[in-house]
Amino acid sequence: MELLRYKQDVFGQSMLVGMNWEFLWLPVAAAAAAILAHLLFRILRHPG
Amino acid sequence: MADHEVGGGARRRSVRHRLPDRLFHWVMALAVIVLGVTAFLPILGIRFEWVPMHWMAGVVLTLAVLFHLYRVFFVHGLTNMIPGVDDLREIGRNLRGHGHDGLSDAKFDALQKGYHAAASATVLVAVATGLLMLAKIDTTFWRREPSILSDQGWGVVYMLHGASAMLLLFLFILHVYFSFRPEHRALLVSMLRGHGPEHARKDSE
Repeated sequence: MELLRYKQDVFGQSMLVGMNWEFLWLPVAAAAAAILAHLLFRILRHPG
Repeated sequence: MADHEVGGGARRRSVRHRLPDRLFHWVMALAVIVLGVTAFLPILGIRFEWVPMHWMAGVVLTLAVLFHLYRVFFVHGLTNMIPGVDDLREIGRNLRGHGHDGLSDAKFDALQKGYHAAASATVLVAVATGLLMLAKIDTTFWRREPSILSDQGWGVVYMLHGASAMLLLFLFILHVYFSFRPEHRALLVSMLRGHGPEHARKDSE
């Protein structure tokens, strides 16, 4: 699966259309990972 | 001014955010939420007339950004938000679990400045491409004129708009998370009431 969407123009050439929205989960997952990393960092730095 | 215990240390309190800046922040927040809802819900399959709400919220966001730029360049200046050597030192000290001894006081700490730079660049790309995309719709105020760009040009505009929207979603989630952290509560309150810690980074903390 590609990050960008393409379509064929009238000459059969590949043309950029925009982002592939099937990757909409990516920013949410990345934010969740960053939050988890921050929480782990806090716990490891201040145990208990 | 008075000293209050905030986040484990005494910080000088004053008016941290003036009313026009707080209004800007919440107008921008509301616009971004409307833009996010009207952009992402249709993608998730929830169908409604999203285009009018989306472009109007985009225009509100554009006006808010212009107002903010005016405040930055003619009222506040850029000094508080430009990263410096102490910001790099702060990040290094944070990673090693050390305090802020020896670092200069700063209204915004290193990560706040980094976040602001990322959010600013992202919003500016979204606004610039969104303004171009206004040429694709008919409104009471103008007729659509999509011929201002080639199909390939529109593809790039849509790609940049979509990428900035996805990045903004990531930044928005992080912003909400960090805003509600207990150690940042005073900063959140200052964005509502104005008064708050004068410095987010303080020497000897």
